Amino acid sequence: MSSTQEAALASADHPTPRRYAGGGLGTYVVRRVLSAAATMLFVLVFNFFLFRLLPGDPISLYTRGRNMDQEQLRELRRELDQPMLTQFVDYLTNPFSSGVDSTQFSRPVWDVIGDYVWPTVILLSTATILSAVIGIAIGIRGGWSRGGTFDRVSTGTSLTLYAMPEFWLGMVLLILLSTGVGPLPGMFPSGGTITPGVDKWSLDGILDQLWHLFLPALTLTLAYLAEYALVMRSSLVDELRQDYLTTARAKGMREKLVRRRHAVPNALLPTVTLVFLNIGFVVSGAITVETVYSWPGLGLLSYQAIRGPDIPLLQAIFLLFSISVVVANLVADVVVAAVDPRVRA
Amino acid sequence: MQVRRTRLPVMLVSAAVTALIAMAVATPASGADDEPTTFTVGIKQDIDSLNPFTGIVSSAYEMYQMNYDTLTDYAAEDFSAQPAMAESWETSDDGLTWTYKLRSGMKWSDGEPLTARDVEYSFNRIRNGRYEQTNYGNYVAAITSVEAVDDTTVVMKVDKPTPVMLHLYVYILPEHIWKDIDGKEVRKFDNEPEGPDGVVGSGPYIVTEHQKGQFLRFKANPNYWGGKPAVDEVVFRVFQNDDSLAQALRRGEIDFADDLGSNVFESLQDAEGVTTFDAKYSGFNEIAFNVGAALDDGTPIGDGHPALKDVKLRQALSYAVDTEAIAERVFGGHATPGTSIIPDLYQDLHYDPGSSAFTFDPERAKQLLDEAGYREGSDGIRTSPEGRKLSFRLFGRSNSQTSQQTVQFVAGWFRDVGVEVKPKIVSEDALTEIIGQGNFDLFEWGWVVEPDPNYQLSTFTCANRSYKDGGQVYANLSDSFFCDEEYDRLNDLQAEQIDPAERAETVKQMQQIVYEQAPYIVTVYYDNLQAYRSDRFEGFVPQPDPDGSLLFQYGTHSYRNITPVSAEEPAGDGSSDQAAEEDDGSSNTALVVGGIVVAALVLGGVGYALSRRRADHDVE
Repeated sequence: MSSTQEAALASADHPTPRRYAGGGLGTYVVRRVLSAAATMLFVLVFNFFLFRLLPGDPISLYTRGRNMDQEQLRELRRELDQPMLTQFVDYLTNPFSSGVDSTQFSRPVWDVIGDYVWPTVILLSTATILSAVIGIAIGIRGGWSRGGTFDRVSTGTSLTLYAMPEFWLGMVLLILLSTGVGPLPGMFPSGGTITPGVDKWSLDGILDQLWHLFLPALTLTLAYLAEYALVMRSSLVDELRQDYLTTARAKGMREKLVRRRHAVPNALLPTVTLVFLNIGFVVSGAITVETVYSWPGLGLLSYQAIRGPDIPLLQAIFLLFSISVVVANLVADVVVAAVDPRVRA
Repeated sequence: MQVRRTRLPVMLVSAAVTALIAMAVATPASGADDEPTTFTVGIKQDIDSLNPFTGIVSSAYEMYQMNYDTLTDYAAEDFSAQPAMAESWETSDDGLTWTYKLRSGMKWSDGEPLTARDVEYSFNRIRNGRYEQTNYGNYVAAITSVEAVDDTTVVMKVDKPTPVMLHLYVYILPEHIWKDIDGKEVRKFDNEPEGPDGVVGSGPYIVTEHQKGQFLRFKANPNYWGGKPAVDEVVFRVFQNDDSLAQALRRGEIDFADDLGSNVFESLQDAEGVTTFDAKYSGFNEIAFNVGAALDDGTPIGDGHPALKDVKLRQALSYAVDTEAIAERVFGGHATPGTSIIPDLYQDLHYDPGSSAFTFDPERAKQLLDEAGYREGSDGIRTSPEGRKLSFRLFGRSNSQTSQQTVQFVAGWFRDVGVEVKPKIVSEDALTEIIGQGNFDLFEWGWVVEPDPNYQLSTFTCANRSYKDGGQVYANLSDSFFCDEEYDRLNDLQAEQIDPAERAETVKQMQQIVYEQAPYIVTVYYDNLQAYRSDRFEGFVPQPDPDGSLLFQYGTHSYRNITPVSAEEPAGDGSSDQAAEEDDGSSNTALVVGGIVVAALVLGGVGYALSRRRADHDVE
């Protein structure tokens, strides 16, 4: 749910716009937190039933590839066959219980997720930060001198990048920069986060990990950057028509200051919202890019869980993704409200 | 308007990029002479567990056999029983007592002595442990006692003679480590390495590091009974797609790639320093008929087409399938047409129908159908003598390209002889359920056959049809619901034949029954496409000789025998940057085209934007 929709819904409750009353940040935050909690509860319940609707015999999934006779299977089925209500209560009282084992890895699902969460967070946060910073900078420069050469080139490139499938871009970069083509030598590794045998925490190890991070991060940065640049550019272009800029210029303010102090802060809002909303997807990873670069992140893990299918693992991953999106929405709402009092009403 | 822009972010970014590129160029060159030789294998799936009682994916078994040795081994030449930990063995005349003589002076990788006590411990742990039996129960099912008579002699007693005693593929575990892990803890025990000494074992290599989802690292075991292997380290790196796996091989980041797709395999054929190997494999695919779905007690289930119970119909349809076309056109020639249910990879066991084979002959198929009373109707579709139209559902698997293509081909061939086919593509899990309930007419799937034929043969016994538990029907091993008294009798017989030649005779008779009764049309025996850096390693041992798989075998034959290509040879200066440079020469059109397309797209975008701006100006 986007913040604008939220705001629209909120204002529907109050037919008379209350510009000042109840507009405090505190009340607003409390309201948002409550609604996020409600969403979360819904997700929790939905998640439980979603996975019980799937066809198939869970015992045959658990015991696939194992040499178990009918008698053992019957016993196992009796052990696990609890009434739906009991299952639901167990699930609700402790959705994060580590008691549930992944059928694929035979380990508690949250332990498995723990192994895969850090590579994803590192890759996606690097790409998000880089793409936001570079994208916003490009958007500002292009939007301010609209129609200039820089604007035309950057908009064209952004549109092109925006249209490219991530995995394809990844594959092309892999071939160009990892394998090397013609005179271009192969410079970067084809996958993984570290060279086997290098100590993770040594200086060499850290450099080695940065070296491995380069291609996947570059791919994702290029893929995300376009969106930020385009949104930033268009919102800045909208601001350019505003009277307050004329006022600022009339005061004799230097062009650079007009842009930095007046235009950009106002134009930043949509982009900031977008950045924070996207942070919700940092945890869910980028399945396609992680697959191209064999990056052991949650995107890959969810792919493996689906391919299994590893229902307990998939359920835990779904829960984690939903929560991170809900939390990111909440943070985006609060941050935007803190920056822009207009949304609090 | 002229505005001075701050260039700091741009400078920072370019500085960072420059630094990374400098690093990139510098890092691969650091391979010094005194570094240990490392053989790196690309695998397509991470292992599920290092605990041999827990893991089930096939790559995990490669890790177990690296780390743990077994009593006997499957010979590289022909899968016959070969000494491993046991240097010799003998059986009593009644076949009920087996005595294994171990090599003397064996040691675990941590230096502790490895004796018959460890063997006794490992077998008894499985015999007495419910969880332990899930992976190895079939090896100990007949064993009634295991005893270490002295340090190098183990005596086992069985309740009936069984050939499995020649191939006890049970990993012998160090008692001094595993005795502390009880029957409950073993379910959670991950057996991960916790230091440079690795997981204590007795195999040729010891696992020392596991980065989940990324790689496993093994070091040569100096205490291995066969002597320390020539290559110091073996690394298994996980790749998530075929293309990056192939690129890594091209680049020299890895030395071996297994289970490649045929497109990628062909693209590697002219890569420098790389040798591709079309290895014969133990897998087959089939079109299976629902020959009359029923429970193990004979109660009919499901909604299969009744006409498929007629063996004459199934035989006629067997003539209508062009297995050669499937091998050529679906598998790109990386397969051979199939016949019986044990692939010809196992030469001693494989039954060859010879001149009585159902070779593709649509006219013959039509003639047989006519003779059996399946007359063609006005719409060109035949009906059974009972008046039911020959219209069959044929299920294919959604995750397999070859499955879907095969289904399309078969549907066409069947239509040509007057049999209507409705292809349905579903996931493998959905299909398992559908098969178990007997709700199908035909489906396409396959099996991978072990060197011991017991399991494969058991998929056609009456007892392994679906079964009922609490009102629910559950799938068992049988997926065609084939049931034949003579077949079951021979199956019991082969399970007790110790002499390999006698057993092979029985196994062939069983295959002949299945072939002639035609519950399956075996379409192909497909190959395993492997490729390796022949400029860096040599001495691979195929299993079986001469065209079987080079790695992922029954046993660790290649790992123990490969050696680095010596540095004196002009061809192989094996450092990775050298390999990368050599690679530049081999022009790969796909790569160049990819690059050109990107450039064209970017330029196109720029041009489009420019022209649009201009148009806007014109309007203004």
